[in-house]
Amino acid sequence: MIKTDRTDETDPAQLREEASLTVNEPFRGRQFAANKKLTVEERTLLESTLAEEESLLFAVVGDLNIRNHYARSVLVVTEKGLYGLDASFENGVRTQSFDGLKRAFVKRCYGNALLIFTDDADNRTNFLRFSYKEAPVFDAAATFINRVASGNDREEELRTIESSFEKQFRVCPKCGRTLIRPGAPCMNCQSKDKVIGKLGRYILPYKGILAICLLLAVVTTAVSLVPPYMTKVLVDSVLPNGDKNGLLQCVIVLLVAHLIHYGVGAVRSHFMRVTGDRIMTDIRNDVYEKAQKLQMRFYDRTSTGSVINRISGDSQTINAFMMRVTQEVVVQLFLLMGIIVIMFAMNWQMTLLALVPVPFVVMGSRIFGKKVRPYYRRSWRYWSAVTSIMTDTIPGIRVIKAFARENRSVDKFKKANNFWLQTDIKVSRIVTLFPNVVGFAVTCGSLLIWSVGGNWVIEKPEFISAGLLVSFISYASMFYGPVNFFANLNDSYQNFLNAAERLMDIIDAEPENDFSGGKHPEKLHGKIEFRNVNFSFDRAKKTLTNVNFVIEPGDIVGIVGTTGAGKSTIINLLMRYYDQYDGEILVDDINIRDIDMTFYRSELGYVQQEPMMFHETIYQNIAYGCENATVEDVIHAADVANAHSFIARLPDGYDTVLGERGVGLSGGERQRLSIARAVLKNPSILLFDEATASVDSETEHQIQEAIEQMIQGRTTLMIAHRLSTLRKANKIIVVDKGKILEMGTPEELMEKKGKYYKLIQIQTMSAEIQKTKEEERL
Amino acid sequence: MERIYIDGHMAKFTRKDITTVDVQLQDGTIFQNVEPRCLFPSSDGRNFITLLDENGIEQAVIRSLDTLPAEQREIIEGCLAEYYLIPRITKILNTTEKFGLITLDTETDRGPARIEIRNLLYGFKQVGNRLLLRDGNDNRYEVPDLTKLDAKSRHLLDNFI
Repeated sequence: MIKTDRTDETDPAQLREEASLTVNEPFRGRQFAANKKLTVEERTLLESTLAEEESLLFAVVGDLNIRNHYARSVLVVTEKGLYGLDASFENGVRTQSFDGLKRAFVKRCYGNALLIFTDDADNRTNFLRFSYKEAPVFDAAATFINRVASGNDREEELRTIESSFEKQFRVCPKCGRTLIRPGAPCMNCQSKDKVIGKLGRYILPYKGILAICLLLAVVTTAVSLVPPYMTKVLVDSVLPNGDKNGLLQCVIVLLVAHLIHYGVGAVRSHFMRVTGDRIMTDIRNDVYEKAQKLQMRFYDRTSTGSVINRISGDSQTINAFMMRVTQEVVVQLFLLMGIIVIMFAMNWQMTLLALVPVPFVVMGSRIFGKKVRPYYRRSWRYWSAVTSIMTDTIPGIRVIKAFARENRSVDKFKKANNFWLQTDIKVSRIVTLFPNVVGFAVTCGSLLIWSVGGNWVIEKPEFISAGLLVSFISYASMFYGPVNFFANLNDSYQNFLNAAERLMDIIDAEPENDFSGGKHPEKLHGKIEFRNVNFSFDRAKKTLTNVNFVIEPGDIVGIVGTTGAGKSTIINLLMRYYDQYDGEILVDDINIRDIDMTFYRSELGYVQQEPMMFHETIYQNIAYGCENATVEDVIHAADVANAHSFIARLPDGYDTVLGERGVGLSGGERQRLSIARAVLKNPSILLFDEATASVDSETEHQIQEAIEQMIQGRTTLMIAHRLSTLRKANKIIVVDKGKILEMGTPEELMEKKGKYYKLIQIQTMSAEIQKTKEEERL
Repeated sequence: MERIYIDGHMAKFTRKDITTVDVQLQDGTIFQNVEPRCLFPSSDGRNFITLLDENGIEQAVIRSLDTLPAEQREIIEGCLAEYYLIPRITKILNTTEKFGLITLDTETDRGPARIEIRNLLYGFKQVGNRLLLRDGNDNRYEVPDLTKLDAKSRHLLDNFI
């Protein structure tokens, strides 16, 4: 049985048990898989609807009724047919037998999806409705229904659907977050203490130096308690008695105290600063490293500005808070306790007076904390928007200038910056008001001591001396320092929590699976197989549907299709940029999810339409990822890529430092460097994604030559709009709307006279028209 | 090919299925089994409604639903209501938050809904007084006018927007 309440300390065995499909009691003696538990009413309805001896294979529980309102809907699959339970149906149930069922599919609408059946006459039945949340399980159910309807083995298909269901158990039942592996503890549901503990590990390597700093802090704090006491001695004993010797001794004691206080304080400040910087560097390094290994899905949804902001700003906030907690909290607590002990020893009645404002300060702190957090968060959001505009527009300055949008860009920036300013002013109002209110409260406390204590000095000098009162006032003002500190600590804590939450979003985000692990064959030969691959970037639209193909080692395969057909997605999945697809992708008969990621990617050469160059030399750009390459290797790679000749003509040759993203080179030149980079890698599999799409005919010819030199003996997948660039391909895959439409040799597809034939016809026609026009012009 | 814009009485729609219609234009052109879709589903659901055929190819565009005769408009509105599910939040009952997972228990015009938002920046988008929400499963929700929410709901939402 799946339990919804879970503690952080759940036993792994219990987790495994929970991650089973048997969420329901057996139905008519047979165990069945289901994504959720059926209600008693649903089971009763099934008992009365199903024929005798008819048992359940599996059930899928949805969350919308057919009228698009939130309600339960259930798809029940038995050996004989399909049942849809929905309270808005007549009698609450509708049925569909396998006989006469032509096709089952899930139609994704907007925010909801429908399970639709068609019969032999192509009549459609909108069977059940559900939200995107449940769509993946209904997808699996539709696949099962189609296969069973077309005569596949039911038990084998049942295992497939069970594996789809199992994926559902990869999510935390409490918060819905996808787990790294089934049954893994959910990072989201961990307690705050664990988060602090997790970030606290950055402090551990510096515990020695921090302990020294703490010791030094205790020394300075202890020394800071001396001057008020000396004031009492001076006022009560030394000055009234004219004791010059005592006066000198007091001054020397004060001098030594101040010397220790400031001298030790300076040493401590230096240690603290260095340690703080080191901790911050560690946090930034870790977050940056993690950011490099995050799934592409994370970057699809998170702006670059926001990631940069987290690495720079949030790590600073966290470091500052951790230093406060490990150092100041202890120091201030020590100070607070020391002062209270001294004050009680001096006069307990006046000490109680001094404590009067404390409850107000503590209460105010709690109210303040709740009030300020949303403002901090808002301020951060607006600041992220500002940095996003910068990361968008500064690299895109050429486009901005080309369209004369400088002023618009400035207006947009000013608007976002102004939003941030307005929010920060509100933060400032609260943040500055609170300490002053606290300050006023503690001042009132001092006034109380002055008025009551002063009266006692005047009326009962035997009870309290003037020196004691002055000294007490000094201690009292010192006492409010820690009180103030702890009251304001909540502000830093709230700020820290917000920053930690954002940083944990990166630290705890799922990295690419098995970044360091998995199978490590000696070499990949380049056989590629897609088996029933389904994929969607978000749940709104399926990008690939049931993709199946096999590519043999050494094949040169052209992938063609219209824009948005899913060509690049096939490459993206093969590159393992996205791992959350259904089905299997195998290379050399090994599931690519099981191959060591670093090794796997080192065996792939990827040339994309917009080559990415770094702000480094041409040499470093070509040798990117091949640190051990010799100069001859790099030159050879550049030669193969038809790049060496233009590099040689550059004044700085291979030492030419490229501008950001390769500024300073033409598109064709950047592309040839990108090919050289791939050549140097000597990969088993080559992937070209529209490598010549954005260059002129002459450059295309040069690049094409380079590609043809490079692909010999390697499995090659080439996406191309210009079909002429696929002349070396021995196999063509035609993709349309995420499905494989045609596949075969170019000759076979031409004979078939399908989509490929049409594309060739269109392109030949347009090429002829262009040729005629050029001839006319000549 | 020039885009066909449909205004006023120039087309007759016949409901085909829950999300599709047949269209007959005044000049006799017929488009069968086309699906009305909003070109601006988030910002303007009443203007620029594209009509896509089974292959996803646009056949015509309804410039504005408000220019259509009432019975024709209702047919298209019916299709859009079936296709688009953007529940309107009428009340926020409770909110919880733990490490970026924001859970909102709400009442909507489609019944009570628990909305789980995993990314604060991605999940809430405010355009003027309108708030658009997108949950971790890409389901969409909206608060059409924040000023019309009750004080408690506003207060609960203020933590996130």
